[in-house]
Amino acid sequence: MWSQLRSWARGLTGRTAIESDMDAELRFHIEARAEDLLREHGGPGLTRDEALRQARLEFGAVDKAKEECRESRGVGTIESFVQDLKYGARVLRKNPGFTAVAVMTLALGIGANTAIFSLVDGILLRPLPFPQTEKLVDVTGTYPKGAFVAMRERVTSIEPAAYAEGHEFNLTGHSDPKRLTGTLVSAEFFSVLGAKPALGSTFLAGQDHAGQDNFVVLSDSLWQRRFGSDPSIIGHPISLEGVNRTVVGVMPADFRFPSAKTEVWIPLRNDPSDTHSYWAGDFLNIFGRLREGQTLPRARTEIRMFQAHVGELFPWPMPQSWNANISVVPLATGLVSDVRGRLVLLLGAVGLILLIACVNVANLALSRAATREKEIAVRTAMGAGRTRLVRQLLTESVLLAGIGGIVGVLLATEGLQILKIALPPDTPRLAEAHIDWRVMLFTGALAIVTGFLFGLAPALHASRTAIAESLGSASRGAAKSVSQALRGALATTEIALAVLLVIAAGLLIRSFWTVSHANLGFRVATTATARITPNEEFCSDAQRCISFYRELVQRIESHPGVNGAALINTLPLDGRIAKRSLEIEGHPPDSSAPLPLVWLNVVTPEYFSVMSMPISSGRTFSAQDETSAPVAVMSAATAHRLWPAADAVGHHFRFSGEQEWRTVVGVVPDTRAYSFSQNAPDLFDGVIYIPFTTKATMEQGGIPSDMTLTIDTRLDDRQVQEILRTTVAQLNPEVPASDVRSMTRVVADSVATPASTAWLFVAFAGVALLLGVIGIYGVLSFLVAKRTREIGIRMALGAQKRDVLWMVMREGLKYALIGISVGLVFALLATRLLASELYGVSPVDPLTFAFAAIVMGMVTMAACYIPTRRAMKTDPLIALRHE
Amino acid sequence: MDKNMELLQGTLDMLILKAVSLGPLHGYGVLLRIQQISKERLEIQQGSLYPALYRLEHQGWIASEWGESENKRKAKYYRLTAAGKRRLLAETEKWNRMANLIAGILSTKPEEV
Repeated sequence: MWSQLRSWARGLTGRTAIESDMDAELRFHIEARAEDLLREHGGPGLTRDEALRQARLEFGAVDKAKEECRESRGVGTIESFVQDLKYGARVLRKNPGFTAVAVMTLALGIGANTAIFSLVDGILLRPLPFPQTEKLVDVTGTYPKGAFVAMRERVTSIEPAAYAEGHEFNLTGHSDPKRLTGTLVSAEFFSVLGAKPALGSTFLAGQDHAGQDNFVVLSDSLWQRRFGSDPSIIGHPISLEGVNRTVVGVMPADFRFPSAKTEVWIPLRNDPSDTHSYWAGDFLNIFGRLREGQTLPRARTEIRMFQAHVGELFPWPMPQSWNANISVVPLATGLVSDVRGRLVLLLGAVGLILLIACVNVANLALSRAATREKEIAVRTAMGAGRTRLVRQLLTESVLLAGIGGIVGVLLATEGLQILKIALPPDTPRLAEAHIDWRVMLFTGALAIVTGFLFGLAPALHASRTAIAESLGSASRGAAKSVSQALRGALATTEIALAVLLVIAAGLLIRSFWTVSHANLGFRVATTATARITPNEEFCSDAQRCISFYRELVQRIESHPGVNGAALINTLPLDGRIAKRSLEIEGHPPDSSAPLPLVWLNVVTPEYFSVMSMPISSGRTFSAQDETSAPVAVMSAATAHRLWPAADAVGHHFRFSGEQEWRTVVGVVPDTRAYSFSQNAPDLFDGVIYIPFTTKATMEQGGIPSDMTLTIDTRLDDRQVQEILRTTVAQLNPEVPASDVRSMTRVVADSVATPASTAWLFVAFAGVALLLGVIGIYGVLSFLVAKRTREIGIRMALGAQKRDVLWMVMREGLKYALIGISVGLVFALLATRLLASELYGVSPVDPLTFAFAAIVMGMVTMAACYIPTRRAMKTDPLIALRHE
Repeated sequence: MDKNMELLQGTLDMLILKAVSLGPLHGYGVLLRIQQISKERLEIQQGSLYPALYRLEHQGWIASEWGESENKRKAKYYRLTAAGKRRLLAETEKWNRMANLIAGILSTKPEEV
């Protein structure tokens, strides 16, 4: 054992010394033998040189013996690996064309995988950046403040915390007013996460009770942009939504919970006396930290118990379905549950690309192996065994894959930046994705596996041929059928995989096209939008608020280039919704059945004309409605739902909590305001429009204070922004005009997720097609080159160009047809995985399948073109002289 | 009997150990010694001698050092180590047992069964 280690160590450290020792020893042997031969048969018949020659002959293959010596000493593996590596590098350098194509192909495959893996790693795999992250859990389902407070008091297995995203606050008192995105959080939000502020402190227990909640924690980016990174801001009040809140802390730049959009964290305002806000206001997301000794299953059981009884606390009956399938899952899982499926899809797609790349390089290597037959035959004759040859060829493959991997990482670094832009910005943990040692490790492993994957078949094949062939007869005659069959199979696989990706991309694009070209029911082109958001407090005086808005709309309309302007509280496809329940005249509320729930749109009279919404029956609003009895317009489906038997116009309803009845004065067609397929969310009974008057009260009591301006104009966003900035500032310098976007932009943003998935798949399919073309081209070129002689003979015997054309095309067609058929079958089985990403198109959409088959067929034909033309130009005379 | 007999598989190591047990030898010397003892009746592939020497050295049964040959040239000499001595004894004993056994089987006559 010891001697083995020593000999091994010596082998590693003094490699060159041992090599020269070995040379000297063998030389001594041969010379000694030669001297003996001279002594025995010496004389004029045998010269010294001849004796040496004979000694060498007797000895046999010196290199083979040396190789065996190295192996028997046990360092052969490492030593020969280094040797193989050097040899491989030399071979690759000598074939720059092959090397470049192979490296680029592999770099594309490995790079795409690295980029997507870095996303998967950052979003799905990496633990959350909090201490003892394994104890953080997510309570699926949402609860109003009252229910959360009850949970905090009763549940013992976890320490819960709550938050509500997407609140907005006007920051005033420093330069221009600014609309901030904030997250309402319970007092223990930061402490449960274990997040420490970069400056100051976070919230203390009890700071989420009404009256003790005038505090705020700032995000790092807001602190830098708005407060010039001034540390003395801690302890000072800032004016948010007209309320002074003391800045208690600034979070570090890498704290982005619940998402990177949050600019301020503001305590919940738990006020049991405000029944609406306490039991029906924000529905909060809940997470928590397992207490000492508690487990996830126990927390799950306890939360389910809690859920069974929490309904009794509500001042009104809660539906059975509310939070019915509540569970507790690890927080990291809960946060990203929406994106997991999509990321796995992307990973699958790039996996396919890598497979195609491997097949491609394997094909290239096979073609090249044919030209290397002589080299390999020489190496065999010099004493290289089959395993040795395979090892050498595999080392070369892995080296190639390694270079591909390095270039791939460079591509991936760029690719990740593009991905981060392409993916919707609200993708959770997107900012955490980056290329680091974990990703590098993955890439390294991937490169090695890739090297084996594409190297094994050609290596085994080449070494087998080497044994079968003798030096002289290599490469003469007809194409070798085995290697041609293998190459054909590889090309076919490539086409099949490419077809699969093209179909996936086709389905996603069709789905995306379907949704984005649906008739939305309102005008998208030449509509500009902007959020005009006075403080809530400003709008508590309804008359003042309405006057401000009316004046604003008039001034905007008077600008040249503006054809019309209107206001709405919740812009279509913007993600914001105002809910309101109502009571129909003649149908007294029944305590067992919930009241009809509608999406309440508060609009100015011009809204319908500015958005080009036609009227189905009755009328829209007019200036008179501001002073007359309250009126409403509803969508056709809503009218039908509430008054199934009759025309809704002329009927009455009232919103819960109000006394006055509203008259339905008109019906408008349904639009796709909530999503590309729905006018309102599932739980809703319809969509109602009411005029923006002092009676336009929302669920929480007051009139809406955050209206969106819609403008019919051909001016671009910049011009609109400029008009708005000056106009609003003249009217009220405290009011921000934010989120200036064309309606086209609003629509595009609402499909950002399916759009990004679709475009990524299109990119992947493009790469797959490109690689497929290279593959087919390679196989056919090789075929033509191999059969030049045969083609020459055929032509000499009278074959026409047409026959030659057919001969080559037939081969290409064969691969294409088999590949496309196999690809279509794969796709039939695989595209159902895409179902969740498809809207309005079946996963086995025949049109898309046919399209993919045609595209692939045309692309393969194009790939056949150059080799075919070369074959047709074959000159029989030259071909027959060939070799 | 043929003058030259092919070496039985796996016996070369044993012969090398025996050869160097009679005194340190260089590689060529090992070859000559085996041929001399066998009275030139064994054919040894010269190319396979050195891998065997390296293997035995790697296993610690023989050790090597550079010395001077009969005709004043630098040559690598192999000698048996203590472990090699034990190994040679064990191998010899095993071989004898096996040879007797096989010989016994082969010399069996029909009536003895």
